[in-house]
Amino acid sequence: MLIEDFSMAFRQLRMKKARTFLILLGISIGVAAVVGVASLGEGIRVNAVEEIQRSHDLTLIEVSPGLSSGNLVLITEAKVDAIKDYGVAVSPYVSDAYVTTNKTYFEVIGISQDYLDVKGLEIDTGAVFEDGTRQMVLGSDIGEKFEKIEGAGIGDVIEAQYRSYGEDGRSVDKDTNFGLVGVLKPTGTDADDRVFIDINTALELDEKDVYDGITVKVDRSDQATAARAAIERLGLSCYSAQDEIDSVNKIMNGVTLVLAFFSGISLIVGGLMIINTMVVSVYERTREIGIAKATGASEFDVIRMFLSECIIIGIVGGILGDVLGILFSLMIDGVGKPILVAKLGISNFEHLTAINIEILVAGFLVSLIISVISGIYPAWRAAKLDPVRALRQL
Amino acid sequence: MIETSGLSKYYTFGSGGRITALNDVSITISGGEFVSIVGPSGSGKSTLLNIIGCLDQPSTGDIYLDNARLDYGNAASLVQLRRHTIGFVFQAFNLISSMNAMENVAYPMYFNRVPKPQREKRSLELLESMGLGERALHLPSELSGGEQQRVAIARALVNNPRIILADEPTGNIDSKNGKKIIELMKQVNRDQGITFLVVTHDMKMAENASRVIKMVDGEIVD
Repeated sequence: MLIEDFSMAFRQLRMKKARTFLILLGISIGVAAVVGVASLGEGIRVNAVEEIQRSHDLTLIEVSPGLSSGNLVLITEAKVDAIKDYGVAVSPYVSDAYVTTNKTYFEVIGISQDYLDVKGLEIDTGAVFEDGTRQMVLGSDIGEKFEKIEGAGIGDVIEAQYRSYGEDGRSVDKDTNFGLVGVLKPTGTDADDRVFIDINTALELDEKDVYDGITVKVDRSDQATAARAAIERLGLSCYSAQDEIDSVNKIMNGVTLVLAFFSGISLIVGGLMIINTMVVSVYERTREIGIAKATGASEFDVIRMFLSECIIIGIVGGILGDVLGILFSLMIDGVGKPILVAKLGISNFEHLTAINIEILVAGFLVSLIISVISGIYPAWRAAKLDPVRALRQL
Repeated sequence: MIETSGLSKYYTFGSGGRITALNDVSITISGGEFVSIVGPSGSGKSTLLNIIGCLDQPSTGDIYLDNARLDYGNAASLVQLRRHTIGFVFQAFNLISSMNAMENVAYPMYFNRVPKPQREKRSLELLESMGLGERALHLPSELSGGEQQRVAIARALVNNPRIILADEPTGNIDSKNGKKIIELMKQVNRDQGITFLVVTHDMKMAENASRVIKMVDGEIVD
């Protein structure tokens, strides 16, 4: 029955080829606009996420002291031990600011040797510090700065002050010195601006008995979420690149939705076209509707006759719209990408637009829903026709 | 089989005017009768036919089919009557121009949810019995008036109705073919016992009826 309804509807539509073609064009252009714009939003989102994934290690979780029911939860040795089960590497660190006698400020991170492996940091020149010494290794940028401002190279000793605050709130400066033993390869991350020393030396210099943070590395990036949740249950705060990806996704989903909504206004025009054409069709087929009713069609049968046509328009319009949308998206990519490269110098992306199955399914469904909604009024009008008057019409 | 009691139909206008199309019509038609309703145009013949055929509603009065009163508030039951009990034949044939003869005949079975192969078989048989077997795949525009009306009669018969209501069935056909149509309907009435109620102004047609009902100004006259 259902198949026959559609084959009858298809026949009706085929009889009015030009009209059907124009409706389909109207609907599919609307769908194409939505698909094209959504693919631009999706493309920007994908590029942003890929950029984050390129510049961040998704297997890393940065742990910092947290707040649990109003109390500060510090990173004690016990916490570090507790976390050890959740990652393949758990590397605590302390962090403090120092200033040289020439007023060059630098951030010193006290780490254990495995931290370098966890963070993927490699020695460029010189060697790694030895444990228990005041040797330091510099990030590439701060290394250059030291060379220029301090004139310091490997083998030199650098005088520095560490400023802490006493119980009375007054600052207390302590003098110390570090031996420069190595410089790291550039990484493009904030490690390039940091200075690394042995963690026990740092704890001793800073007079700390808790850590400022822990870098946890999990085996695979898909384990990060679970590990993170487990660490957060200990009352500590976590940060990972996933946070940035999440917020990019959130923003771009919103932006895409708004863009798609406004481009979807053209679909209202398509819907009005369907209403108009179907009302005309009801008028033209008044007699046929009268015949159908006289020979046993119920009101529901008549509604079904017209809605079947709208469903076909919706399905074909949706498919055509998706195809046109893909072409539209390729066009945006083809035209927009060279402009971005030429005008803004942004070139670290492959495509400006991205199409996924969700966008195509959404485009298809929007076409189907709009077509069916647009068909309701004409179909209702047809169903309510008085058969006596309908049959009298010549 | 069909009984109308005090059937009236008025059309009122916004200005307060009222036209009486039917006035207190009470008739009884037995099963298997071939009844002609004759009268000048505007006498209410077609209105009576449409009301009996559940296409229109009376303003007052009742209709009983097999002693059961028609309930005009129950649209589904009226649809069932049109599907199973009543067949229509119109003056203007009212075939669907985009469908061939066979599809036109089969059309009412579509609403009766009869599977396509059975529909085609039944309509072909009917068309053959009317001498139109070779015209089954022709469109109405390719058929003569007489042929079109025979297709329409086949369509009226397709669901095995017990009543056929015909409104000026020979009105658009020349007299020679009109005679053939009358013969055909008489034959169906005789062979299958189907009740015919035929509106006509053609006295020759009326002469063939087992009973003639005359109407003037919406009333039955003897």
